[in-house]
Order: sequence, then C-alpha cells, then structure tokens
Amino acid sequence: MRTTRYLAVLVLMFALTLLVAGCGGGGQDTAAEGPIKIGFFAPLTGPAAADGDSVFKAAQLAVAKINEQGGINGRQVELVHYDDGLDTKQAVSIAQKLTTKDNVVAVVSGSYSGTTRAAAPIYQEAGIPMISAYAVHPDITRAGDYIFRQSFVGLVQGKAAGKVAVEMLDARRISILHIDNDFGRTLATSFQEKAEELGAEIVSVDSFAFGEKEFTPVLAKIKQLNPDLLYMPAYAGEGAQIVRQAKDLNLDIQILGTEGIDSTLQFLGVAKEAAEGVIITTNLNRDSEREIVQDFIAEYEEQYGHKPDMVAASTYDAFMVLFHVIEQKGADPEAIRQGLAELKNFEAVTGVITGYNELGEVQKPVQVQIVRDGEFHYFGEITDPDIITPPNE
Amino acid sequence: MILQQLINGIVIGSVYALIAMGATLVYGILKVLDIANAGAYAIGAYAGLFLYQATGSLPVAFLGAVLFTGLFGVLVQRVLYVPLLDKPPLVPLICSIGLFIFIQDLIRLLAGPHIRAFEAQLPFRGIELPYLSVNAIWIAIMATTAVLLVFLWYMLNRTKLGLAWKSTAQDLEIAKAMGVNVDRVVAFNFLLGYGFAAAAGIMIGMLYNSVFPTMGDMPAYKMLAIIVLGGLGNPLGTVVAGLLIGVVETLVAGYVGFFLPRDAIAFVVLIVILLVRPQGLLGQRT
Repeated sequence: MRTTRYLAVLVLMFALTLLVAGCGGGGQDTAAEGPIKIGFFAPLTGPAAADGDSVFKAAQLAVAKINEQGGINGRQVELVHYDDGLDTKQAVSIAQKLTTKDNVVAVVSGSYSGTTRAAAPIYQEAGIPMISAYAVHPDITRAGDYIFRQSFVGLVQGKAAGKVAVEMLDARRISILHIDNDFGRTLATSFQEKAEELGAEIVSVDSFAFGEKEFTPVLAKIKQLNPDLLYMPAYAGEGAQIVRQAKDLNLDIQILGTEGIDSTLQFLGVAKEAAEGVIITTNLNRDSEREIVQDFIAEYEEQYGHKPDMVAASTYDAFMVLFHVIEQKGADPEAIRQGLAELKNFEAVTGVITGYNELGEVQKPVQVQIVRDGEFHYFGEITDPDIITPPNE
Repeated sequence: MILQQLINGIVIGSVYALIAMGATLVYGILKVLDIANAGAYAIGAYAGLFLYQATGSLPVAFLGAVLFTGLFGVLVQRVLYVPLLDKPPLVPLICSIGLFIFIQDLIRLLAGPHIRAFEAQLPFRGIELPYLSVNAIWIAIMATTAVLLVFLWYMLNRTKLGLAWKSTAQDLEIAKAMGVNVDRVVAFNFLLGYGFAAAAGIMIGMLYNSVFPTMGDMPAYKMLAIIVLGGLGNPLGTVVAGLLIGVVETLVAGYVGFFLPRDAIAFVVLIVILLVRPQGLLGQRT
C-alpha cells in the first residue's frame, strides 16, 4: 500500500518535471525572430540590494530607451533579469538558466566580484559574451575571451588612487582602511605599491568585514599615528560610517575613497556634512559637458527621482556598448564577442572607451571627484597611459 | 585613548544588552530561541524613523515605535508561538527564522532597499575634550539603556507581575495551576521583549544615521552569543554579557586590529567563557 503511494507520487512528480521542461523548451526556435534577449543578473535582495536596485533601474532605462527608438535593426530588446541575492551559488544557477534555457545572446552582470567571478566560466563555456558592469576582481576576465569588463580592474583604480594621493594631494604618511573582500584587498594592494613607489610611507593597514558599522576603535588608533591621508576602499554603507565617525573623533585628515562610495543615496545621504571634502576615484564625471552624460543623468533623475551613481552609469554603459555592437554585427553571440573585441573609441557615459584589450579589460580615463555642497564634482582626471592601461594577463 | 575606547565599548555593549534582552525574556518563559526578535529590531527602527519624520518629536517617535513593535510581539506570540508550544523546540525555532526572513523582505518591499538616514536632533550637546569626544547620541544611548534596564529590574523584582513572570519562567504548568494568569504573563513578556528590541533598533539607527532592511542580520546571531554567555534566560546575565562583549570587541579592534571580523570576537569570548563556566556567566548549574 505504502509503496504504491510513493510510486504514484514519484510518477506524478516526474510527469510534472516533464511538463515544466516542455514549457521552457517552447521558445527554442523563436531565437532568430522576435525580440533580442539580453540576460542580466544583480543582487536585488540581500545585503547589496541597494546597488541591485540602482543597476536594475539603469538596465531598464537602457532597454526602454533603445526600444523607444525602434529597437536594434528593427528588433525589440527584451531584458531577461534575475536576482542573485549576492549569493555565488545563485549566480551560478542563474548563469546555467540564462545560457541553456533563456536563449540570451549576451549577458550583463550588475553584481559584485564574488558572484560575477563564479558565473564567468559558465558564460565562457557556453560561448555567451558577458560584460561585467562594475565588479573589479582581476579573475573575472581571466575566465576567457567571452568575458569583458566595463569598469576599471581593481589594479588600475588602486594605482590611480596612489597617484592622486601622493602627487595631487601631496600625502607623505598614509593609513589604509579597507574592506576585507576581493574588492578591498585588490585596491589596497595596488594602491600601496603605487604610493610607496612614488615615495609615500604607509603607516598602517587595517581591514574590516562587510557590514561593519563601528569604526571608532580603529579610527582612534589611526588618529594617534597622525597620517596626512586615509585611503578607504569601502562600500557606501561602511564608508559613510567611517567618514562620520572620523568627524566625531575630530580626525581631521584628507579621506580618499573609491568608486565603492560613489553613491548619492547610500553615501552622501547618510554621511551628509561629514562627506564634505572627501575625494574619490571613479568612472563617472558628473560635471562632464559631454551630452551623453548630461542626458543620462537627467533621464535617470526624471524617471526615478534621484541622481544616478557609478554602478548605474556603468551598467547603462554596458548595455549601450552591447546595443552598438549588436547593431553593427548582428544578434549572434560569436559576432557580439568579435564586435566587443574590435570596439574602438566608443562614446560612453563613463568616458570614451578606447577599447577592450585581449583580456577583455576596458581602457578609459579614471575620474577624480570631490564632494562639495553634498554632491560629487570634478576634481581631476588620470589619463597617464602607464596607469590606465589595464594588464594584458 | 583607553578611556575613549572604554566609553565606546560601553555604548556598543549597552545596545547589545538591549538587543539580547528581548530574546532573553522570551527564552526565559517559553524556552524558544526567538530569532525574529532581530526582525523586531528593524521594525522598531523603521517605525521610529517614520514617526519621527511625521511628528518631529523624538520622545513621541521613540515611545510610539516601542509600543507598536511591542504590540506586534503580542500578535506574534498569539498567532505563532502559542499554537506551537507543544511541538518539539525545533519547530518554533524554524518558525522564528522564517518570520525573521519574512520581516526583512517585507520591509524591503515596503520601504525600499536603500539605507535611510535617521537624523535626530538631540536637545543637548556632546562632550568635546582634546583627547576624548563623547557625542550626544552616545550619552543618550547610555542613559536610555540604564533607564530601561532599571525599569525592567523594578518590574521583575518589585511588582506582582514580576513575581508572576518568575514563577512562569520556573514552571509554566505549575504557575498556571497556582492561579497565575499565564496567558497575560506571556503576552506581557512579548510586549516587553519586542519593545526592548525596538528601542535598540531606534538607537542604533540614530547612532549610525542609517536604517536599512537587513539591519537585523547582526543582532540575529550576536544575540545568541550574548544570551548563551549570560546564562540562557537570565536578564542580569544578559546585561553583563552584552557589556562584556561590547568592551572586548572594541578593545580588540582598537589594540590588536580587526584580525578577525568583529562579529567573530563575540563567539571567541563565548567559547572561552563556556570552557570555564559551562552554565554561562550568571547561569545556574542544573
């Protein structure tokens, strides 16, 4: 009796699986016609949900814009999006879904380094080009020739910050306080190398865990060392606490941040006056007079009611690059890969993209921005080829 | 510098004590590990923020949010915990984890994933000395925690309700047989427990000027370390354990560096102390 029941349940479940699989397979042969499908994953829930929200808005804006203009060569674009919850396991199963079931021709990662890095080999294996919008870890593009990066690899940004600290801000004694993950470690190491090469002394290096909120102890320690600059590769949540608590402790030194705190709501909105004078390296120059930048900022603000941040701009650019390449080469994954590899001097929101190198790393200038009156403004730009040329291996 | 670090540790420790107090009270009576108490912490912070924005009065926002969250706690025990009481302890535990995740995502859907600033104007100023700065919010946190804890001590030790609480904690069935209105004690217990969590949430929101949906993640596991360290269900032990962990974390972070994530330190302290005193700091050997 019992066995029969189990058997019946098993058969039912099996039938259901077939049914579900059958439904999914229905779209197979529509790939040549119908909309062009572009995959997208981002942390819409979990601890990075705020960045996920920003990039998802940017992705929707990019797709809406191209469809309004009549699509690409007469075909509409469809965004196939998933939430990875900042979970590497989830990112991997999304990659499997996008490459085997959804028939996307290309993918944009709107997620962090950990998740993007785990997913990259799957896209490479499947021969689907992926552009990482803002994840910085060097291993991402090492997955292969189908993987491209839309923001600077950590090494470039760290080196640029080293130059900003020593040459533009004249710092001699520097403390580093970085987040203890791929992002923070990559930036801290390359910054330290460059700063020491230029003659500065690193007086302390401290790290903290993602989500840390209490920095008074370590800042009190840094205060005693009396450095003239604090380099802070952190995300907006932690970065805002560091600048607030530094102010509370009267730690009156120049703070140099990264694109990790390039966020209007999350960083400027929380840190308020304590953020005044903070300088960051990023890829979005809000004061740029180029039309595409001002249009993007205006459209984003009109649509969503707040100013875009670095992650939104980078994601928007990843889509713009893809649209451009698809228009030139057609909606075929191999053609898209080739188009990306050959791209030259593309006018994007985050600067003019000179091109992607063999590894798939972008080359463009590093922007230096300063917080004045509660907004990011132009402070400088790093264009030295020896700094902004990404590594080839 | 040592004074600065100590004060900082006490501030953090006071908040830990409040966070863990809610779970301690619930455990004391129902023997349920209430993870959802960390959800009440986030609810309290959001309720406080919205009430403050609506009324502009900090006391109204604080009391309103504490009361609102406390009533939510009463609802939770009526609808969820009481019906599950005769099930094995794992069932209410899983239920509370589910409720915690539900609360976090509900907040994200209702209020959005972004960090919201909680800028409160306090009517007094902090202390600024060359080598010591104590800002106004720290003073407010230490004072509020002290008032709440004295209030709790008074309730438990000097009132009839406190006597009923203690007898219910010792043995729910016998207390019932002796004529204690156990339902009321349990409801009151949740009112207090969730109210305390809300108070902690509001204060942390103000301290870091940020309120966000996943803010309950840290208390969700740290309160476990604190209530176990304090001797499971012992309110006084929880206060001592909260302060101890706050101070140790701060001193380690200040003098040794973040060689471990701050949150790991709490568990290292827990392991070391349990090796010496398996019943917790103030727990009784049974």
